[in-house]
Amino acid sequence: MRKVDLCLSSEGAEVILATSSDEKHPPENMIDGNPETFWTTTGMFPQEFIICFHKQVRIERLVIQSYFVRTLRIEKSTSKEPVDFEQWIERDLVHTEGQLQSEEIMGRDGHATYLRFIIISAFDHFASVHSISAEGIALSNLS
Amino acid sequence: MVKLAAKCILAGDSTVGKTTLAQIFRSDGAQFQKNYTLTTGVDLVVKTVPVPDTGDSVELFIFDSAGKEPFSEMLDKLWESPNVLCLVYDVTNEQSFQNCSKWLEKARAQSPGVSLPGVLVGNKTDLASRRAVESAQARAWALGQGLECFETSVKEMENYEAPFHCLAKQFHRLYREKVEVFQALV
Ligand SMILES: Nc1nc2c(ncn2[C@@H]2O[C@H](COP(=O)(O)OP(=O)(O)OP(=O)(O)O)[C@@H](O)[C@H]2O)c(=O)[nH]1
Ligand SMILES: [Mg+2]
Repeated sequence: MRKVDLCLSSEGAEVILATSSDEKHPPENMIDGNPETFWTTTGMFPQEFIICFHKQVRIERLVIQSYFVRTLRIEKSTSKEPVDFEQWIERDLVHTEGQLQSEEIMGRDGHATYLRFIIISAFDHFASVHSISAEGIALSNLS
Repeated sequence: MVKLAAKCILAGDSTVGKTTLAQIFRSDGAQFQKNYTLTTGVDLVVKTVPVPDTGDSVELFIFDSAGKEPFSEMLDKLWESPNVLCLVYDVTNEQSFQNCSKWLEKARAQSPGVSLPGVLVGNKTDLASRRAVESAQARAWALGQGLECFETSVKEMENYEAPFHCLAKQFHRLYREKVEVFQALV
């Protein structure tokens, strides 16, 4: 089976929910494969977004590029609908002044149909997410 | 177009008029509370303020908290991660002005290392004959602290919106600045 970046919109991934939205920096920017474009939070924390793969996938390696994110929790679901999320990963990120945070995660049991990212706290009033990429394989389509 | 959301903490001594100010702002001038009711916990007032010339707006979540001990002691938790600060004193009460530095310190301690935009509001200007804090004195202190300065009479419905509009504008400016930082990263 072919390994791909499962979080690309060109591979069928979609952001189905985001608690913040600035028309100029929409959530789709996180999965367009271009780290120059980004999504910004626009208010108080926590903030969250949900990525739908539209298929069953197994994630082996996840990389999140962001700025000012302090505590990040990731939950996943294997349901057809965005329900029954279970906690997967929680990380405290470090702030790297003037440089994108690049957090690599090798999660156990990466089976998922949805990922929910919760930015619990940040280093500033606002945070940005520039790209989410998930290396892994697509297992089956959702019927 | 973007709608920002800001947690605004309303701080200052007891009876300076915090609750009265928040309520009159919430009701667009319809409700001046003559009788004093001590705030014991925290009252939340939510209101959206447009940012002039932008099409953007800021939804202010105003945390009207207690100025009187022991109720003010549990504020640490309620004040967590503030975005903007509205500091109120009573122009007829010198002590309430002196205590502003204490309130400011307490608010800033909530988010060390992060700038906290704020305004200083001298209320009850209608009681002109009892004035104890001069405008110039307040302005000088506010300037030194990086706060914008206002005087209001909530009773006369004078200038009660300006401080909140200023906070929204400051928060919006901060957002613009951060977006530029994000843009410059890659
Ligand atoms: N003359 C005059 N009285 C005012 C003005 N604003 C508020 N007051 C009165 O001041 C008293 C106290 O106002 P509050 O808003 O309850 O005071 P507070 O700061 O919320 O006090 P705590 O909740 O104890 O912290 C009330 O009786 C108000 O009617 C004003 O502009 N002029
Ligand atoms: Mg009160």
